[in-house]
Amino acid sequence: MKINVVENVLKANDAVAAANRRMLSDRRLLAVNLMSAPGSGKTTLLEKTIPALGEEYPCGVMVGDLQTTRDAERLGPYAVTTTQINTGTGCHLSATQVAEALPAFDLDRLAFLFIENVGNMVCPAQFDLGEHVKAILLSIPEGDDKVAKYPTLFQQADVVLLTKVDLLGILDYDLNRVRDDLARINTRAPFIQLSSKTGQGFDQWLAWLKQQRLEHTRA
Amino acid sequence: MHELPIAAAIVEQAVQAAAAHGATRIETIEVEIGRRRQVVPEALQIAFAATSEGTIAEGARLEIVEIEMEAVCRVCGHRFKPEIDLYLCPRCEQADVRIVAGDDMILKSITAQTPEESASQEPRPA
Repeated sequence: MKINVVENVLKANDAVAAANRRMLSDRRLLAVNLMSAPGSGKTTLLEKTIPALGEEYPCGVMVGDLQTTRDAERLGPYAVTTTQINTGTGCHLSATQVAEALPAFDLDRLAFLFIENVGNMVCPAQFDLGEHVKAILLSIPEGDDKVAKYPTLFQQADVVLLTKVDLLGILDYDLNRVRDDLARINTRAPFIQLSSKTGQGFDQWLAWLKQQRLEHTRA
Repeated sequence: MHELPIAAAIVEQAVQAAAAHGATRIETIEVEIGRRRQVVPEALQIAFAATSEGTIAEGARLEIVEIEMEAVCRVCGHRFKPEIDLYLCPRCEQADVRIVAGDDMILKSITAQTPEESASQEPRPA
């Protein structure tokens, strides 16, 4: 017999993601899903961002990696709460992993929850975690062709952060190539050039974060 | 390799649907997968074979239908078909879209047998 089903295959993940988002919105807590290749500077960005946001904006961090607690150890001194999610062989975080990690956080105390996804430009783009915004990083040493190579990830970006811009002029890098590719894939996301080393671009990045929190969460 | 959790979800939902109809053997599973999902059909087939093992979906044929992407421009409202690497609106030349098709993964239907059907030698129309 033929049985018509017509069901969203990822409905379980999507339902948990929606519940995560609702829970965070109600507490005026903006969740930011940070996605990029390994080594583009996600953890270093957070090491600088959290102190720069200051006591007025307490932060929690969830870090996804296949192995080790190294990133959580690095971020521990800066965030109110940091949890490491080890995915083992998993190449991305899921909404359920985030939901299971949330009870470790005092959500009423936090203004931002940064979810540092597993370093990977393919699979994380396919799984809603319940975040409000997606921040996609690409760094100068990765080369200027990443936007064109991973269009699905960049098409979903709410902000694109070009990191390690202190290396512009040291490495051969065609900034216009990145701009041209973004012009075909995503003209909505602000394109912020920043350096965690020199602090360049941080004013714009922090202002963007605060604005997003106002727009996406309930007063 | 994000096909593995997808395959596991397909198996789970197909088995549930079959069980709800008293079926004990699944023969085919039809899924529609949007192009934006970046699912590699061969990888999904392998993942399906692995995750269906030991269930009533083991040995079933997985039919994958790819769905093209459609987008609505957030700036001017124009509806068009973007490419996976090109989201430029042909009317206003902005790349700021809402994806309205080709972003879903839908378990459409299954064909399955009840114990009575399996027992009879007469093949039945699907």
